[in-house]
Amino acid sequence: MNTPRTSTWLTAALVALLAASVPAALANTNSGPVVRLFPTNVLEDIRATTQVAEDMENSLQEIIRRMDMQQQLYTESLCEGADGDQGCERIARQIGATYLQMLDVMSERLPEMEASVANTRDSLERRLREEIGLRTTPSSLQDSLVGQSPAIAAEAQPVLRGRSGVRLSDRFRQYQELVTTGRNGQSQSLTVVAADIYLDMADASQLIAATRQEIARTALMEQLNQSFGVITPEMAKVVGGVKQILFGEVVGDGPIAAPPNPIGEADYVSPLAM
Amino acid sequence: MNALRLLLLVLAGYLAIGCASETPDTCRGSLSGTLNAAMIDAESRLAEGCSYEFDRYFSELLIIAEANPDRRNPQHFSEFLLRQTANGTISRRTAEGLYNRYFNIKFVSLQGDYNTCSQTCPVRARVLSTMQNELKDKELGLLRVSNDAASFYRADHLYKEAELVLEATCRACEAGSRR
Repeated sequence: MNTPRTSTWLTAALVALLAASVPAALANTNSGPVVRLFPTNVLEDIRATTQVAEDMENSLQEIIRRMDMQQQLYTESLCEGADGDQGCERIARQIGATYLQMLDVMSERLPEMEASVANTRDSLERRLREEIGLRTTPSSLQDSLVGQSPAIAAEAQPVLRGRSGVRLSDRFRQYQELVTTGRNGQSQSLTVVAADIYLDMADASQLIAATRQEIARTALMEQLNQSFGVITPEMAKVVGGVKQILFGEVVGDGPIAAPPNPIGEADYVSPLAM
Repeated sequence: MNALRLLLLVLAGYLAIGCASETPDTCRGSLSGTLNAAMIDAESRLAEGCSYEFDRYFSELLIIAEANPDRRNPQHFSEFLLRQTANGTISRRTAEGLYNRYFNIKFVSLQGDYNTCSQTCPVRARVLSTMQNELKDKELGLLRVSNDAASFYRADHLYKEAELVLEATCRACEAGSRR
């Protein structure tokens, strides 16, 4: 027996079902094979790495800021090469102490960061190999990359490698946003996003491993130097590495192609076209 | 007298054979005029047995079209290539290859029916270098001949994306094969 109430519910359910299925059907008609690059576990890894990066940034930001100020004071006081000046030696020792403090925090936080980055890298590596490397031909890969419309490509173009200049946690947050936007309809660009994140994670892993090695060595040296008040090149190197991991590099914007003049006529499709 | 006649006959025969084996003048000259006129000229020459000059004619047609860029030029080239396929001057595959190389945003150099790990990754550097060369041809076909900047920039963007995705995918394939 169909009561008005039941039919209203049925209509609502059908409308909801249609609303959900039409975009999916449309998405399927203009794309190649369905690639699942961001299952829940990969997203969880990215979220976890965002959190770890944020915690690490927060704990180091103040120390690095203090060290930058001390370094500035040292330079402005013309302490470079001023041997025997007691004031300069005191500043140098203060810098050394702050530096040791930074190394402590780093030693404490880096293993967790390293593990989290490695998890994200490994899970993306597996997805890329299985979904793009083994389940996609070069032709279908090209089709899926071309699949995005020019308007979408211009709007949602992922931040490609070499354009960092942002905090690590912000970068991960951008990744999360890109992935979420992509999952909501622009599935094609996810291949590029996955490749981008994976290569970044691989680089970050190497950088973190190198920095950890350097920390152990320079911490010992700095403990020795504390009695002499010396600023070593190793200190600058490690601080530079930390800044690179956490806060990115400042890179100028690349050239952007000018838009073409719009022409109203419909595009010709050749029977010879791929 | 007979010997002289024989000598003249041999000489005449030699000259006749020599002239026949030379390239006819109709095949040699450059194409000129409007794109349409040049295409008609090229087609008539190809029909008269100059098919071995097809590549040169196609290059000259592109140069003529470059001097007169138009959004309809891809259509003219497509129709020209289809007629040559119908006449048997070139194969359908060659026609597709030429059209897509110059007038499609997709890359002929990035094709294949096997998985990316096994087909493209072992020769990734070579594939990218070939794509780079193809991008130059697309610049001619899409940007300079067809005045279609949007399509050329999409092709350029596609090249950059393919480069990034292949770098990541091939690294992942390599890591998988090491395990």
